[in-house]
Amino acid sequence: MTSARDLDVLVLGGGNFGTALCTILLENRKKALLWVRRRELAEEINTRHQNSRYLPGVALRPDLVAVSDLAAAAARAPLLLMVVPTKAFREVARALGDHIQGDQILIHATKGLEKDSHRRMSEILREETCALKIGVLSGPNLAGELMAGQPAGALLASHYRECVSAAQAAFAGSRLRLYGGRDVVGTELAGAFKNIIALAAGVASGLGLGDNARALLITRGLSEMARFGVAHGADVFTFGGLAGIGDLMATCASPLSRNHQVGERLARGEKLPAILASMTQVAEGVPTTAAVFSRARQLGLELPIVRAVHGMLYEEWSAQQALAELLRLPVGEELAALRYR
Amino acid sequence: MRPEDKERVLAECAQRVFDRYAHDPQRLESAIFDTIYEERRRLEGERRSQRTAAESALYDRIYAEAAAAAPERRRELLRELIGRFADEVVGHFDPRVYALATRAVPLGLNVLLNSLSPLRLAGLLPGGVSRLEDQLTIAGEIDAFRRMVERGTTIVVSTHCSNLDSVLLGYALHRLGLPPYVYGAGLNLFSNRLIGFFMHHLGAYKVDRRKKAWLYKEVLKTYAGCTIEAGYHNMFFPGGTRSRSGAVESRLKLGLLGMGLDAYIRNLQANRPRPDVFIVPVTLNYQLVLEAETLIEDHLKEAGKSRYIIEDDEFSKPRRVLDFVQRLFSLNSRISMVVGRPLDVFGNTVDDEGRSLDRRGRTVDRRRYVQRDGAVTFDAQRDEEYTRELAASVVESFRRNTVLQSTQVVSRVAFEWLREQNPEQDLYRLLRTGGKHSSIPLPQAYARLSRAISALRTMESAGRLRLEDTIKDRDVVAVMSDALAHLAGYHRRPALLRRGDRLFHEDRNLILYYQNRLEGIPLPREAAA
Repeated sequence: MTSARDLDVLVLGGGNFGTALCTILLENRKKALLWVRRRELAEEINTRHQNSRYLPGVALRPDLVAVSDLAAAAARAPLLLMVVPTKAFREVARALGDHIQGDQILIHATKGLEKDSHRRMSEILREETCALKIGVLSGPNLAGELMAGQPAGALLASHYRECVSAAQAAFAGSRLRLYGGRDVVGTELAGAFKNIIALAAGVASGLGLGDNARALLITRGLSEMARFGVAHGADVFTFGGLAGIGDLMATCASPLSRNHQVGERLARGEKLPAILASMTQVAEGVPTTAAVFSRARQLGLELPIVRAVHGMLYEEWSAQQALAELLRLPVGEELAALRYR
Repeated sequence: MRPEDKERVLAECAQRVFDRYAHDPQRLESAIFDTIYEERRRLEGERRSQRTAAESALYDRIYAEAAAAAPERRRELLRELIGRFADEVVGHFDPRVYALATRAVPLGLNVLLNSLSPLRLAGLLPGGVSRLEDQLTIAGEIDAFRRMVERGTTIVVSTHCSNLDSVLLGYALHRLGLPPYVYGAGLNLFSNRLIGFFMHHLGAYKVDRRKKAWLYKEVLKTYAGCTIEAGYHNMFFPGGTRSRSGAVESRLKLGLLGMGLDAYIRNLQANRPRPDVFIVPVTLNYQLVLEAETLIEDHLKEAGKSRYIIEDDEFSKPRRVLDFVQRLFSLNSRISMVVGRPLDVFGNTVDDEGRSLDRRGRTVDRRRYVQRDGAVTFDAQRDEEYTRELAASVVESFRRNTVLQSTQVVSRVAFEWLREQNPEQDLYRLLRTGGKHSSIPLPQAYARLSRAISALRTMESAGRLRLEDTIKDRDVVAVMSDALAHLAGYHRRPALLRRGDRLFHEDRNLILYYQNRLEGIPLPREAAA
């Protein structure tokens, strides 16, 4: 029943980003609730005001309330914000699909593609729920900085203007500035793709390369991202915005990012399985590289940086070898592949 | 349409369009002057006649008056323009003739054919013309379709490749025991007096595609919407026109398609007892297409934009229609119609009870899609996107329910071979020159065809597409000879011809046309020969 909609926003996913978004909404005097999968985590958040696994040492707002009963929570908000890692995304979406109604707005902030199927998250939401008003939130939003009370910006893309305005209303006046857009495909692909470049930037740091090399990597990475996106029908301008270059700048500059760490350790000669085994959180760049690599092959797209990262992750290339491969590539006109589409 | 509804629907349509533009001075001005501008352009392009002279004079008068008029007078002029369009669209509809014609539907095809060439037909076809009716098979979700007709108002949307389509559809709907459908038929269908007469009285309204004025299109759309709201089942071709390339429609016109949602919302707001509107996608499948030669030629000439309206095609030549029908009989060729799963106006499938289902098969309360804070609302931007969702579902249904024919599959094999042999030639050059080799060795063609058939059968058993019986059940030789008999039989030139142990591509445009039906279907790549 509509009368049961006593919340403004339900945030789904108790990772660091979900917790951060819920915190900002509460700060912005919205009635927001956090749904988490594990009951123990809900209890920890409600009683000790901590999320020790994903935000160790951070004191959460006392009014941040978490629940783990999806059926009861899902009906309570007109706006649902889903922040669940790609690996669990379909499962949560399917469960949500049992409870959601067609008037509810469903926005996700998950960066990555589904393994094997290479589906974008909005496609999964479409397949697993009856929701039509679907949107994606993406941008340079490092959770640690958000939790520290700093300002940030993001893009909210949806084909439905109602989606954009509802999300903008929820965050209006907050520290998170939400810009609107329509390019769902571009926004989702940018968010997924940037993890690959972040990984490559980590490798560059690990090799002891400086700012010139990193800028080269980011810029050429952006160009690959745009080519990949445009081949899927994205608007090229999206990649010049918050979800594109914006997110790349933040992710590649932050040595704390998980993808960056994977890259750095690869450069030091560690093997992928060992690196992944030692990490508590998901580094989305790893599966995304496999997905983008095979998709680019199907489309006949040349993406040298993706190629090199794939080599390091899955084909036992050393970091030095990958760098050498990249440096040996012929140089053409800088933006030819985008300009003369 | 019931007589009491006719005037009401017409008045409602005119009033609705009027209200949309009459109250804002700027909209009022552009409604009048844009219309006159477009209409004058149309008249300039037409052959001069008494009718065009009268129309020109009318527009001159309205222009002169409107230019100097106060808003009140302008509103009257707008009403006049809308009224003219509306009258023209609905035409001289006579309920009595309509009642009669409804009973006469089974004769529809005969009437069509006889009116094209009564004497010839009677003499040439032994079993009489009624045999054409036997050539049409109807399959798919027929029961679900019938149930939706009982539960709400249905909109049949069909693939479109021939002018015979509307006649066949009208007949098929009758054979299914369904009430007559309201549909918009192009002027060319009215040009034959007798067909025009029956078209009108079978619920067809007139669509003049030469009229580009948006006010006119608005009247058309609104009229369709008003009839849906009044509970009349509608039918139209969402591709807008016959597929020029031969491919299954992949881009639909959203304006008319969106009228289902519009009517649904209005029904809910007015608390009407049967508010639901269901979309029923239908495919019509031919081994041979009557107008194939003209259509593909038009497609190749500037990719379909050159002549939106074709008036001098095979359909307008009685002799060709006759040839075509004869060919159908002699080859025992069937035309099949497949009814897809009914959809709601948001593109969700519906179950037999008319409940909407999500893609996991869970029931969806569809009213919620148009509710905001509990109230049913219009939201132009949102509704446009909903209609896009619907269009995507319709396209998907068209794909799955297109029955691939031997002519199309064999053409695909022949055309792929041609392209592989001539990788350096672009499409247009290849079509012109035919490339290096004019023929395919038959064993090679068989081998390729048999691989294509097995791939298609796999896709068929996965429910991704449909195959006509020959491809489904018979061996590769039977498929080939069925296709060749068709391809060599009807068209001016045979598309593909067997001489000795080779297949010669005689009319590459036609081969392209027929193979285009398989567009988007991934067949295994052949190793380079």
